[in-house]
Amino acid sequence: MLALIFSRILMMVPNVIILTFLLFAATTSFLGTPAAIMLGEDASPQAVAELNAKLGFDAPLLTRYWHWISDALSGDFGRSYSTQQPVAEMIGAALPLTLELALWAILIAFAGAALLNSVTVLRGLTDRLVAGVSVIGITVPNFFLGLLLIYVFSVQLRMLPTTGWVPWSGGAGRHLLHLVLPVFTLMTFYFSSFSLVYKAEYRSVERNLYVRAARAKGISEARVSYRHILPNSILPLITYAGLSLGQLVGGAVVTETVFSMPGMGRLLVTAISARDFPVMLAVGMVIIVGVMLLNLLADLTYSLVNPMVRTAG
Amino acid sequence: MKRLSPRMLLGLTLLVIITACAAFAPMIAPYSPVATSTNVLGAPSAQNWLGTDQLGRDVFSRILWGTRISLQVGAAAAVVAVLIGAPIGLVAGFFRGRVDFVLVQVIDIFIALPGLVLALIITAMLGTSVLNLSVTLGIVTAPTVARLVRGQVFVVRETLFVEAARATGAGAGWIIRKHIMPNTMRVVWAQFAINVSLAIFTSASLSYLGLGVPPPAPDWGGMVRDGSMFLPLRPALSLAPGGAVALTVFTFYLIGSSMNDAD
Repeated sequence: MLALIFSRILMMVPNVIILTFLLFAATTSFLGTPAAIMLGEDASPQAVAELNAKLGFDAPLLTRYWHWISDALSGDFGRSYSTQQPVAEMIGAALPLTLELALWAILIAFAGAALLNSVTVLRGLTDRLVAGVSVIGITVPNFFLGLLLIYVFSVQLRMLPTTGWVPWSGGAGRHLLHLVLPVFTLMTFYFSSFSLVYKAEYRSVERNLYVRAARAKGISEARVSYRHILPNSILPLITYAGLSLGQLVGGAVVTETVFSMPGMGRLLVTAISARDFPVMLAVGMVIIVGVMLLNLLADLTYSLVNPMVRTAG
Repeated sequence: MKRLSPRMLLGLTLLVIITACAAFAPMIAPYSPVATSTNVLGAPSAQNWLGTDQLGRDVFSRILWGTRISLQVGAAAAVVAVLIGAPIGLVAGFFRGRVDFVLVQVIDIFIALPGLVLALIITAMLGTSVLNLSVTLGIVTAPTVARLVRGQVFVVRETLFVEAARATGAGAGWIIRKHIMPNTMRVVWAQFAINVSLAIFTSASLSYLGLGVPPPAPDWGGMVRDGSMFLPLRPALSLAPGGAVALTVFTFYLIGSSMNDAD
């Protein structure tokens, strides 16, 4: 097992290097230089060159990348162009929020998809519920769903706070109340794709002989579903959930904007509209490393619960 | 001729309506989509069915005209995605071995990265226009097409008729053109429809975040963004264009998924 973990981490390193290089090269050379973007189309080439030199973007690409990545590895992401604050501090403030939001969403989507699709009572009703939420999740964009929920539950019914975010220190109750709508908004899409994956596996496991044997023995349908089918159909869902965590960041960008939550997504959007390159690059890097780590985690969880992979690996 | 499923029928009906809105927008829309008036933030009325926005523009007319931008971006992005993704999938699936291994690694990494974030960064660098948006979204959604085509090619290349072709001395190019491509086309078409819905979904999200087609063009995501400031007072301002996005995405998703189910 240790050897497996080690080899997977080693495999991750080149991917992270290549992806962060692509990010750095694309945003500072390939698709335009920071100064050209900041000064706009009318700027003279001379002014662009001067600003690039001032910001330190005039050295050869590889040299600059090396400086950027080695500084970043020691925790130094530079200072924001717009607020002059150290970028590492800004990320430190924003990251926990996004992680919490994503974690709630993925947990609820995961548990909901597994349970609602295994429930044996009121099958017709739960099937319809799952189908309904699934269609909403796949076709309704997060920003629209979020606004709709704000309009119904905050503006009309006055049941929940509209936007904003309260840290745990502001009271657990208020903290959680502010999370209800954002988490639901972010969760729906993942609920639908998780449902699809889980349901397909559930149906194929259901055809196994041991399930038929269990039913033939007269074991209650609930026990067959929870004890025999569910544990055997959960594996693909674990892998899939791990792989979707990266995509979840995209949803979080929109959700955080709708609900004005100061997380990583908001940080990225503000940085992009302010042409704040150090922040943009740092957020990009955190996302890349995060996605790779999560994929690794999904991989390892999979081998942990599936002994066949473990011994083979 | 197989009968169309009810879901497909609903999808096609909606598609006809949406396309008609786009094609005949100048004739149906009561006002110009960019004409401002003194009736600022007007309530929905007989003159302005969905009210007017913060510049006094008719929301209903803007939504109708916005159909054009949405369909353009969605269709163009899906074409780009197929043009990039399908050849990669064909090569990976047909030649397998080392080529396939490398390509699959690349595809998987790009599928794992959040497409919206990629699109955000690329459009931030390239600038926003219908063309840039379409190309960006096409590139971002291409990996899913590649992966799907690869899977389908895997199935087709194991069939007896491909084996027979190979046995009679057919070359790789000939087999790909005559056997593999025709047999993967249906999956590609279904994915094309799904990609249109995905591109419309993502481009609307980009515009909502302020990186869409620049104003004053009637762009749905941008309308939701501007209108959301007046949500308590004039909900239609943001909810109506948001609903238009959802309905259009739903239409293409329905068509794509019923094509997949039609086996």
